[in-house]
Amino acid sequence: MSNVIGIIRALNSGVKHLAVKRFTLRYPEQKLKFVGDGFQFNPETGVGIAGLRGRHILFHEHCTGCQLCSVACEGIAEAISMVKIHETWKHNKKAIMPQIDYGKCVFCGLCVDACPFYALYMTNDYELSSFTKSALIYTPAQLAIKPNISQDVEIKISDRGASHG
Amino acid sequence: MTTQLPPGMHLETVDDKIMTLNVGPQHPGSGHMRLIIKVDGDYIVSCDPDPGYVHRGEEKMAEYRNYIQNIPHLERPVIHDSSNILYPYCLGVEDLLGIEVPERAKYIRVIAAELNRCIYILYWLAIYGIFLGHSTMFMWPAGDRELFIDLLEAMSGARVTHAYLVPGGVRNDLPSNFEERCLRQVEYFEKRLKEYEAIFYQNPLLKARTEGSGILSRTDAIRLGTTGSVLRASGVDFDVRKKEPYDVYENLDFQTIVMKEGDSYARSRVPYLEMFESCRIIKDALKKMPKSGSVRTKLKPNPKGGNDEVYRRVESGRGAIGYYIVSNNRPEPYRVKISVGSFRNLICMPYLLKGEKLGNMPAVYWGLNYWPVEADR
Repeated sequence: MSNVIGIIRALNSGVKHLAVKRFTLRYPEQKLKFVGDGFQFNPETGVGIAGLRGRHILFHEHCTGCQLCSVACEGIAEAISMVKIHETWKHNKKAIMPQIDYGKCVFCGLCVDACPFYALYMTNDYELSSFTKSALIYTPAQLAIKPNISQDVEIKISDRGASHG
Repeated sequence: MTTQLPPGMHLETVDDKIMTLNVGPQHPGSGHMRLIIKVDGDYIVSCDPDPGYVHRGEEKMAEYRNYIQNIPHLERPVIHDSSNILYPYCLGVEDLLGIEVPERAKYIRVIAAELNRCIYILYWLAIYGIFLGHSTMFMWPAGDRELFIDLLEAMSGARVTHAYLVPGGVRNDLPSNFEERCLRQVEYFEKRLKEYEAIFYQNPLLKARTEGSGILSRTDAIRLGTTGSVLRASGVDFDVRKKEPYDVYENLDFQTIVMKEGDSYARSRVPYLEMFESCRIIKDALKKMPKSGSVRTKLKPNPKGGNDEVYRRVESGRGAIGYYIVSNNRPEPYRVKISVGSFRNLICMPYLLKGEKLGNMPAVYWGLNYWPVEADR
């Protein structure tokens, strides 16, 4: 008899969920909202600023071509290589800037921690899929573009359970 | 024609009644490992676990990278519990380099570790559910895991491999309004967790399958050197967080969950009850945490450890994880040895499966809280 009651109780706890809101995020239509504009780092205090670790953004006006990001990536993913640029900047005599291969990058953000010149940050852009491997390699010019994304859905908790948006 | 065998070797005698089954190496649950099981009808005669299919050489890799660069690859063995597997490494390196950790960072690390423990246990529970054919128990924990992934994503910026803990503190401070958001989601989760009781743990079908199967006695659990939830399910009150408190665990209010039965049911229930304790720790830590202050001690570039060695361990979702680190005045460690709970729990699998029904194998196997990738390192 106790077995029957147990099974009925188990079924009942499942049936209750017919009236509960669906928790699933309907991804391509809905996109999760993140904290801030992506992971950043303050080299003065040595502490980062919370944010999603997505695709990088490179500020050409700050990058000196010091290669510290590339050195930091050695032994982790070897995704960063320094390439020649055609622009001329006074502070970048060698005229080199990082180029990132997202086929290799593990998004640990240690390159951002390594940059002492506020030049390399990360953004909220995580949709990096492409049809070719070569399209995953982002040149300094591509990295300079600020991503334009709409992310607005958060986890909402009410009496009827938790749901996305 | 007879071939001469080398001395000491002999051919296996074939018994027509006994059948050999290879479970794996492709994904019997999660991660690649093989169980060579011999069955007599429906009953298991012997079981020989065969790990090593996902060996990555993490320990050797650690000898060629400096103390900071080791962080992303050392968390790869258990990506679902990445904060806990990095924790002893950070504690050990702090001892080696003589770094003091700010008070606020200690609390943040504890919160990250407990959130991550919940993520791991929920993932484990989801696989446990689907192993026993309970698909609702797969969907619910896999969905509720999102609550914690969301919190850790806000904290660290990554959903699974966080690389959040570093020697000297944490990578970044908490975002604004995190405390309130964390409290809301953890409180909702506690309510949700109580629903698991009726649908899964008090379900007579689960009880019939798992109660009394694969019994590990208290003395055997100690003798075989098991750890974590397997040890506690056999009635041994041992938790590294209580016995050797690290960071701020001694200030926090929680209990060790101990069950006496030592069967599959107890082993499946201990991690579930530990999630309640984790929620308690998170709420307590949020209350006691200093509201402002530094979260990371600034390190010199390429810090060097002296001629020294250190061993630190923490309690992870699967048991005690220990790091033995030797340094020799260089920016890279001389040797890193990781002692993981999964490997120690695997040892008792042949003992537990002997005489069991083959159908009970998944319950016993996954109840051991064994993570193949972590065991192989």
